[in-house]
Amino acid sequence: MKVLVAVKRVIDYNVKVRVKPDNSDVDLNNVKMAMNPFCEIAVEEAVRLKEKGVATEIVVVSIGPKVAQEQIRTSLALGADRGILIETDEKLESLTVAKLLKAVVEKEQPQLVVLGKQSIDSDNNQTGQMLGALTGLPQGTFASEVVVDGDKVNVTREVDAGLRTVGLSLPAIVTTDLRLNEPRYASLPNIMKAKRKPLEVVSPADLGVEIKSTQTVVKVTPPAERSAGIKVADVAELVEKLKNEAKVL
Amino acid sequence: MTQSQTSLSQTELENQLKAIVGDDKVKTDPDSLETFGKDWTKIYPPNPSAIVFPKTTEQVQAIVKFANEHRVALVPSGGRTGLSAGAVAANGEVVVAFDYMNSISGFNAMDKTVRCGAGVITEQLQNYAEEQGLFYPVDFASAGSSQIGGNIGTNAGGIKVIRYGMTRDWVAGLTVVTGKGDILELNKDLVKNNTGYDMRQLFIGGEGTLGFVTEATMRLTRPAKNLTVLVLGVPEFEAIMSVLNTFQTNIDLTAFEFFSDKAMRKVVARGDVPAPFETEAEYYALLEFEAETEGHIDQAMELFEKCMEEGWVLDGVMSQSETQAQNLWRLREDISETIAEWTPYKNDISVVVSKVPPFLNEIEEIVTREYPNFEIIWFGHIGDGNLHLNILKPDDLAKEIFFEQCAKVSTWVFEIVEKYKGSVSAEHGVGMTKKPYLEYTRSAAEIGYMRAVKAVFDPNNIMNPGKLIDME
Ligand SMILES: Cc1cc2nc3c(=O)[nH]c(=O)nc-3n(C[C@H](O)[C@H](O)[C@H](O)COP(=O)(O)OP(=O)(O)OC[C@H]3O[C@@H](n4cnc5c(N)ncnc54)[C@H](O)[C@@H]3O)c2cc1C
Repeated sequence: MKVLVAVKRVIDYNVKVRVKPDNSDVDLNNVKMAMNPFCEIAVEEAVRLKEKGVATEIVVVSIGPKVAQEQIRTSLALGADRGILIETDEKLESLTVAKLLKAVVEKEQPQLVVLGKQSIDSDNNQTGQMLGALTGLPQGTFASEVVVDGDKVNVTREVDAGLRTVGLSLPAIVTTDLRLNEPRYASLPNIMKAKRKPLEVVSPADLGVEIKSTQTVVKVTPPAERSAGIKVADVAELVEKLKNEAKVL
Repeated sequence: MTQSQTSLSQTELENQLKAIVGDDKVKTDPDSLETFGKDWTKIYPPNPSAIVFPKTTEQVQAIVKFANEHRVALVPSGGRTGLSAGAVAANGEVVVAFDYMNSISGFNAMDKTVRCGAGVITEQLQNYAEEQGLFYPVDFASAGSSQIGGNIGTNAGGIKVIRYGMTRDWVAGLTVVTGKGDILELNKDLVKNNTGYDMRQLFIGGEGTLGFVTEATMRLTRPAKNLTVLVLGVPEFEAIMSVLNTFQTNIDLTAFEFFSDKAMRKVVARGDVPAPFETEAEYYALLEFEAETEGHIDQAMELFEKCMEEGWVLDGVMSQSETQAQNLWRLREDISETIAEWTPYKNDISVVVSKVPPFLNEIEEIVTREYPNFEIIWFGHIGDGNLHLNILKPDDLAKEIFFEQCAKVSTWVFEIVEKYKGSVSAEHGVGMTKKPYLEYTRSAAEIGYMRAVKAVFDPNNIMNPGKLIDME
């Protein structure tokens, strides 16, 4: 079974995000970038499927600038077999990404497509769903467990009320949630081996997709700073402040 | 001397201190006495007579003058994370706590220096530096609580010494109040200043026995770029040294730490961070370096390959993100906290790097021979010859008996330290816990000079008496 995994290069989860002085965007200058954490989980799940003998080949695809090769190399070190970079320096919206992924799905014909449920930079949570709509494949989003059973995959989803398991016929799309697995580290011997694994670079035009933007960013502002706490003299003052200032009583 | 030698009554003492710092800056309630009377060691029951919180250098001076007049013993207290009972007040002393002298000011971008009150928390300075696009590189697990004054008092080291040195290397200038009550401005923040004795150095690592640091000018540097962490599995201790040598001759490492498999298993068992890989290894080395370009990574990979070929390394991982780098660091940094539940006997010892393997073997041999049921946990800043020896208390052994037996271990360990010309306290200071063993590292003549120096700065022996050296 062939598994296609999509990975995104994003600002490192541990970096304190700064906004550009003109509020046009987040400042990415000299900022540490890394693989989107939900994508790490997607790669890990694919590798586990391969270790179980369920998956036979893992293809990882990333859409972004040339340096996004780093995240593909990491995926290859973690156990993916080959990589595809759809190289573009354009700003990408979820729909464009979904269209590009659809083109890859048509070409590669995977049985399972695994994506993160969202990327931590734009937090859109829609690429997997849009890909489902464009390809007409069944989707299991927010997966906390994935069990392939013959020509079906059972996906346990984290929903508001608890867990819901859906059975999807393959090929299918799965998006990962945090509790699906704990990703491993890339081992040094595997990082070295990954250098020799194939990595194909294509352009959006090669896939027949035109990058169009339907959104403009109006303004980016940092979250409001928390104001310093104060000491109150007694309970009466506390109640007064909760009522009149915090307006929670 | 201790406070018991003062003829002041408790009420007079409190009133006089209040006259200096204000009513609300003197505390004598049981909670405060308990909290401010001890450090991390928690061996000696705290028993201070009062806690005083000065806000200015002049107030500190007034306190010292008052203490001289009335022979009141003073204990300077920082974040009380010290591991040698240097900030403990067990004999009725007055604790001088620097918590309210915690402002950062006078940042100078050209000199890359910043002025800190003694009570500035280490992490506060680290964050401040980051906000200026700079870096304060002295770092360790207690940085969220320890203070710059305490760091200077102990000359704190930590996890980046191999590249950035100790606290000493980052102090450009100091304001101190000596035991005689003089305010000295030491070194005037100069880089070059060859005008005789550099007295600043005496106060760094002086554990508050000559005077109190009230303000310091600290140096900052450019931030490290793309710090990348390797954790390598190593089959035997000697191989760690070969790995160190291989990497260090080719790369400027920012850290080189080691820990045993036993230590790592205990951290992993807590469930916060995963093991680095499945391959079993007796020891682990953690290396950190700046991967500014792809070339740096390639070089590290080549060195790793060489170590694999030589059989020095069994497996290894490399961080692919900040998060992974931090989680790998936790394998090392969480050890202290994790083993705390076994009431460990701890020693912080050092020898020159080249002598580390025989030194460690000799200690391990003697402890395993004499106490076969003791579990030994090794970890430390091996890149600078600094080992943390931890012996865990067996569950079925009473605490008193365990520490009694460990006292014997101490003597053996320190005899080996002496034989290898090492230090009985690499970075935690002497305080009270290491005072009986000072002579294993310092000669009688040296200790004589230390006493003489103390007598010059603190003729009445009121500054942290009973710590580091005894005056009689
Ligand atoms: C989990 C943990 C990890 C640690 N790791 C490390 C490590 O890696 N490296 C390391 O070096 N240390 C380490 N330490 C020890 C400790 O954090 C350092 O010694 C630190 O510098 C102490 O700072 P503090 O403010 O807590 O000082 P305190 O404990 O309050 O005092 C330390 C000494 O300095 C004196 N002092 C305090 N303030 C002043 C002042 N203003 N003027 C003069 N003297 C003063 C005190 O009297 C005392 O003798 C660790 C401690 C813990 C608990």
